[in-house]
This record gives sequence, C-alpha cells and structure tokens, in this order.
Amino acid sequence: MKPAILVSACLISLFSIAQLHATGLATCDSGPRETWQAQEKLEKILVDRGWKIRRIKEDGGCYEVYAFDEKGERVEAYFHPKTLDLVPTSRYPRK
Amino acid sequence: MTAGGPERSTIRVWDAFVRVAHWTLVAGIAASWLSRHAGDWHEWLGYATLAIVLARIAWGFAGTSYARFGQFVRSPAATLDYARRVLAHAESRHIGHNPLGAYMILLLILMVILVAISGWLATTDTYWGVKWVEELHEGLSNTLLFLVALHIAGVVFSSLRHRENLVAAMFNGRKRAPGRDDVA
Repeated sequence: MKPAILVSACLISLFSIAQLHATGLATCDSGPRETWQAQEKLEKILVDRGWKIRRIKEDGGCYEVYAFDEKGERVEAYFHPKTLDLVPTSRYPRK
Repeated sequence: MTAGGPERSTIRVWDAFVRVAHWTLVAGIAASWLSRHAGDWHEWLGYATLAIVLARIAWGFAGTSYARFGQFVRSPAATLDYARRVLAHAESRHIGHNPLGAYMILLLILMVILVAISGWLATTDTYWGVKWVEELHEGLSNTLLFLVALHIAGVVFSSLRHRENLVAAMFNGRKRAPGRDDVA
C-alpha cells in the first residue's frame, strides 16, 4: 500500500506548497496603503487614454486593472499604486 | 502481492486509454492549479484538461468493457445498498469501479467541465473582469480539489479494505483475478 500513500502525500504537499506561493502576475513593493495614490486617479488616467475600465482591484500590492484598451482589446494590466506606472507582466504589454 | 502466499493471477482491467487519460488528467488538473496566476499558460492547460475529459467521456461509450460508464454506473438504489454494505464491512470487491467510485468519477468529470466553462467565460468580452465569474471559477476549482482529495481517500480506503494496490492498478492496468465473492 506504500505507493498509494506516497502518491497521496506527494499530491497533498504539492498543492499545499502551491497554496503558500499564491501570488498574482506581479507584486509591487508599495508599503502602507495610506501612501498610495487614489484608485480613481488611475482610473481617470486610463479613461483619458481611451480605456474602458471593467474593474480595478488590489493584487500583490499593485492595482490590477481589467479593461478594454483604446483598440477595444481585453487588457489585464498591473500598475504601481505609488507611481501609477505600468508594471509589465506576461499578459500586458503584449509583445 | 501477498507476502508468503501463493502467486495470485492477475487480469487486465484498465486499458491503455483509461490509464493515460487518468494520469494526464491528474497532471492537467495539477498544472492548471499551479499555473492559476500565469495567464495564457493557465488558459491552455485548462482547455487541454477539458479535452482529456471529453475524450474520456467518448471512451466511456466506445472503450473496452471496464472503461464504459454502462459497466460501472449503477442505479442510486444499488449504490446506496453498496454504501450500506461498506459501512457494515460487507461490501463485495469490484473488479471494475465500485458503485461509489463510479459516482465520484461522474462528479469529477462534471466538475472539470464546469471549471473549464467558468474559466472560459472569464475570458469573454461580456464577463471580462466580472467579479462573480472569477469567484465562481475559484469556488468550482476548490470544490474540484476537495473532491479529488475525497477520491484519493476512497482509493486508499478501498485498497486497504480489499488488500490490493489500486494506484498501482491504474498504472499497470492489472488487478487480482476475481475470487468467488467478487463482482466481475
């Protein structure tokens, strides 16, 4: 019965390790939230750029934006909450 | 298998398709889970996992005897009866999937499909960035993982109860030949 237990143990530990390292596409070293720029400000910048914003949430200390860009393409983009600069990820900008 | 005892004969139960589908499905679910924040990779792994399940469904109608749903899915009444026997330590050993395992298989198949559909939905223009779709996908995924844990527990339980290594059987396809009280 050893293989059965071994396989189970491996799977369980694999999933637990994965759980510990749960982070999004990017992380921002952004310090306490009081020092962040307002989410609305980021939204305005992006809307002025021609983006349609679906949702902005926090992920890994960044602002994570779900939107359609000026070309109408689906975009999932990360921004640094202090500088509001784009944080490049595997999803955006597209190469 | 049994140390000291006479060599028991084995028979082929799980065909190559069933075994490959099972373990690639394990890999697909694990890889999808691990890549859940990796964007494109996650999407393709999810669709690949769905493809495995769809192929397995087709094989469940066209495959070899023990691969077929018709061979192992029993009526709810018969399944309940089997569950009672398990509790009474009196259930027969099944050469194919036992009735409870059968429903777990159906449930796991259904969950993979639902997880894949909800994941695909989250990539459509209509549901892009929509919170409830994301939460639905996560909730369904966690349910699937919970069922996988139950499935593994069931396999370990059945292996101990009938003194046979069901994990090894899913690798080599062979199980101890049916005895007098076994359901072949």
